[in-house]
Amino acid sequence: MKTLPLNLAFWAALTLALGAQETIRVSSFSTVLTEVVQAVGGRAVEVTAHIKPGVDPHEFEPRPADLKAVGAAELVVVSALHLEGYVGKLQQAAGGKAVFLQVGGQFALTPGPQAGAPAGEGGEDPHWWHSIANMEAATRLVRDALSGIRPERREEFAANAGQYLEKLAQLEKWVRKKLAELPRNKRKLVTSHDAFQYFAREYGFTVYPVEGISSADQPSSQRVAALIRAVREQGVKAVFTENIENPKVLAEITRESGAVVGGVLYADGLGEGEAATYEGMMRHNVSTIVEALK
Amino acid sequence: MRGSPLLRAVLAFLILALAGLPLWRLTRPGNPPQKSAGAAVPAAAARQRVALALTFSAAPQGFAVRHLGQVVWSGQGAGREFAKELSIEYPPEGVDLEVAVEWPEGAGQSAVRLQLADPAGRQHEKTLWGAGKLEDVVTFP
Repeated sequence: MKTLPLNLAFWAALTLALGAQETIRVSSFSTVLTEVVQAVGGRAVEVTAHIKPGVDPHEFEPRPADLKAVGAAELVVVSALHLEGYVGKLQQAAGGKAVFLQVGGQFALTPGPQAGAPAGEGGEDPHWWHSIANMEAATRLVRDALSGIRPERREEFAANAGQYLEKLAQLEKWVRKKLAELPRNKRKLVTSHDAFQYFAREYGFTVYPVEGISSADQPSSQRVAALIRAVREQGVKAVFTENIENPKVLAEITRESGAVVGGVLYADGLGEGEAATYEGMMRHNVSTIVEALK
Repeated sequence: MRGSPLLRAVLAFLILALAGLPLWRLTRPGNPPQKSAGAAVPAAAARQRVALALTFSAAPQGFAVRHLGQVVWSGQGAGREFAKELSIEYPPEGVDLEVAVEWPEGAGQSAVRLQLADPAGRQHEKTLWGAGKLEDVVTFP
């Protein structure tokens, strides 16, 4: 009987310790954010990556198994900016238990239509990860979200985030140095869909997208004709397909304009092979663009 | 039904034939296909003279300025102020210059100010900071 308080204290301490060591279950609906959470969370997180590399996030719909995982998660991360039309379903599945981090909603947006787009088109671009500055901000948001869930591991998350931020800073230097090889009057990007507004703003490009913000948009014949005209008038050397897209319309544009296909860009998240990491994806995209346009 | 069905049919055929005449002319064999004009490859922006001045807070061991991946100016030796006239392509969109500097050990946090007079004579200024070594890209409008 005398040992009962000691026993109780022991079991309470053990429970607290175990809780602190228990991994944070995270559901991620973005390949880019999956990498960020894993980098910042390290061994403190167990991430369910619902969207795999190469899957089009514009067309993804969560299945019952996805919603079940969300129900058990402590943190749910999404790109936001209407990229995921199913956030409501996720919130319902979470039942108010998980922290929802809608990363893109925290950034200043690039509004308005892009060059080559008919009047009235445009809107919020959800592809915020094509700006390294946005990736740095996303890293801090993830760090703060994890620290809020496990305050006792705050220092660990801060250290991990610091390392990842350093990698991003080095990547930014490389990107600027590589882009410096491309004259500024040749920075014209013709892509399958309107996914590079943040990249364009950051690095002085003008974007001529075939489709709109979503890869599900279909271009009108007037839009295609306007793009062909723009490619000719602007002297654009090359156009770019995407790893997820059907390249038929771009093939028509190259046939009619004389431009060539400069390569494949990763627009909607990470891919496979060299593009399986954020750094690999950015290096691939930037190298492909510079070598094709200079 | 009023009128002759045969007459109506002949009339309809004539109208269709007349409407189809321009189409036939366009698609008959022997018409050369329209050739696309092809992409108008932009002429490289003409080389123009710009004046670039570098002022260092501490004398560098060496420095280099690159434009489009090529070294356009390099220097070393004593002194904190350097100036040169460069002949580079300068489109209306501006230029990126890559700057690399190496300072002597112990120089601490140091700076280099770049002052550029563009082909129109407008003055632009940028300052870069580094400790030991610096590699960065500056954009001039």
